[in-house]
Amino acid sequence: MSKSPVAKPKVAFFDFASCEGCQLTVVDSLQTHLDLLDAVEIVNFREAATLDGWDFDIAFVEGSITRPKDEERLRRIREQAKVLVALGACADTGCVNALKNLQPPEEVRRYVYGEHADWYETYAARPLSAVVKVDAVVPGCPIDPDEFVEVVKALLVGKKPPIPDYPVCVECKLKGNVCIFHVGGICMGPVTRAGCGAICPTYGDGCEGCRGIIPHPNENAMEEVLDEAGLTLDDIMHYFTMFNAYREVGTGKWE
Amino acid sequence: MRLRVLPKERVPDLVRALMADYRVWGPKAKGPQFAFEPLYDPAEMRLDYNISILSPKVALQPPQERVAVFHLDGGFTVEPVIEAEPTVIFGMHTCDLHALALLDKAFSADFPDAHYLERRKKTLIVSMECLQPCDEHSFCKSMGTWTADSGYDLHLIDLGDAYGVYVGTEAGEALLAKYAQARPATDADVRRLNEVMSTKWPRFPHRLNFDAAELPSLLATAYDHPIWAELGDRCLSCGSCTNVCPTCYCFNVIDSPDLSLKEAVRMRRWDSCQLDEFARVASGENFREARAARQRHRMFRKGKWLYERFGEMGCVGCGRCIRACLTHINIVDTFNAIHASQHRR
Repeated sequence: MSKSPVAKPKVAFFDFASCEGCQLTVVDSLQTHLDLLDAVEIVNFREAATLDGWDFDIAFVEGSITRPKDEERLRRIREQAKVLVALGACADTGCVNALKNLQPPEEVRRYVYGEHADWYETYAARPLSAVVKVDAVVPGCPIDPDEFVEVVKALLVGKKPPIPDYPVCVECKLKGNVCIFHVGGICMGPVTRAGCGAICPTYGDGCEGCRGIIPHPNENAMEEVLDEAGLTLDDIMHYFTMFNAYREVGTGKWE
Repeated sequence: MRLRVLPKERVPDLVRALMADYRVWGPKAKGPQFAFEPLYDPAEMRLDYNISILSPKVALQPPQERVAVFHLDGGFTVEPVIEAEPTVIFGMHTCDLHALALLDKAFSADFPDAHYLERRKKTLIVSMECLQPCDEHSFCKSMGTWTADSGYDLHLIDLGDAYGVYVGTEAGEALLAKYAQARPATDADVRRLNEVMSTKWPRFPHRLNFDAAELPSLLATAYDHPIWAELGDRCLSCGSCTNVCPTCYCFNVIDSPDLSLKEAVRMRRWDSCQLDEFARVASGENFREARAARQRHRMFRKGKWLYERFGEMGCVGCGRCIRACLTHINIVDTFNAIHASQHRR
């Protein structure tokens, strides 16, 4: 096993448009992995500590980019970080933030900011990778605490983090679950990136695709599966865009 | 073959007695379906199950297991992890019993797999005769796996108020003697058994339109058949067909250090030839990139290659892959279509 590139890396956490739930999950992961604090030195983590250092090796960045001026701060983080990790679906795929890209900008601005719509500079939501180079991702809404720890371990030994490129069905089958489609449900598991331990189907709910779509999905076949399960074309589009609108339409109606 | 008779009302006591000395796996209800799981109460066991979601191979090759531990602190040492405990698999159907014969050979060949083989050595099989097909997807009769005369320690046949018990091994004989008071079969029991079996046969349909012995040579002529492209168009590459297959045994190996970087665990997890990255090699080349090529690979493994390598057919006709496939890829229809097109020419 290769030596770590940095003995005890300095780690910083930043956020953009998000609910900050992924950073909360990082804090939560300390309940089972207190040794995280021995493995790294945290220098900036607004959500959890009064630290605001800018000398760091690894930046975990939560949130989507939704304003032109976000780009400037993200680029500063990128310049400083040896490794930049997109933390959670907002940063990785644009997540539900990108739903606004499906709607006309003026309508969205007015709906959100009312009569003061003009005060706020906002543009189409996008993942970090639309602005800067991203070295690694921790997918999910929210992230899975165990997977976060696996990503940290991989970074410590200088390996590519083990994020699955296969679908949720794999983990669901390995758990011996009853297929959601076999009990009349709808599930995006066949095209959604695994790594969550198929947590939603395991508890009886269909997957909604929060971890992003796998590379090379068979979308036609998936659409046929959803059609056969009784969904209309609109419904099918909703399933494909709820968490993955940026993938479907990019900046959509905004540019 | 020695036949005994075990009244049904004694089965819970037998299972309870076994549970004291063995981990006992049996079929349990899981929602509207069934799963092989460790039993904690004999009442959970559902011997009336049709088919389990995963095959009972889960007791012998778990979906995920530790295979080694590394110590990296002051040198480098490796400790193999063999997790095997005395086990009874209760209620295995004969399709899965035939699959086990293949797994035994696969894990014994080339590099004998201590993890599987240690577990196997400590495992007793109590199998069961199916008296009707699971559903419309079973094609065990076509594959010749709808019954079995070996491979088990004990084999149960439902005679109504009692089970006829065939004793397959000395270990089975000992188990029966120690844990159950089965009585020798009388002439009346044998007559009843023959009635049960003779009414069984016609209930099972042949679903292959040809003899399964033809499969290896049939597939040998079908490598470039247009059907693979059709299957590739439909396949989601979700891996469900192989994960539910009782004869699939491929696994991937994953190393995971702890956060101190002083210890690491080597895990293995079921892998699937249907997944996009399965055949990606270190150079970056993926030599089975097309879904069509991956489906062809699976069908060839099931109908030809495993048979040629191990002398056991890679498909036992359980139909699990058909039930699991959301896009209705059907191994029976595929084989029949190839057969039909070859015979039209």
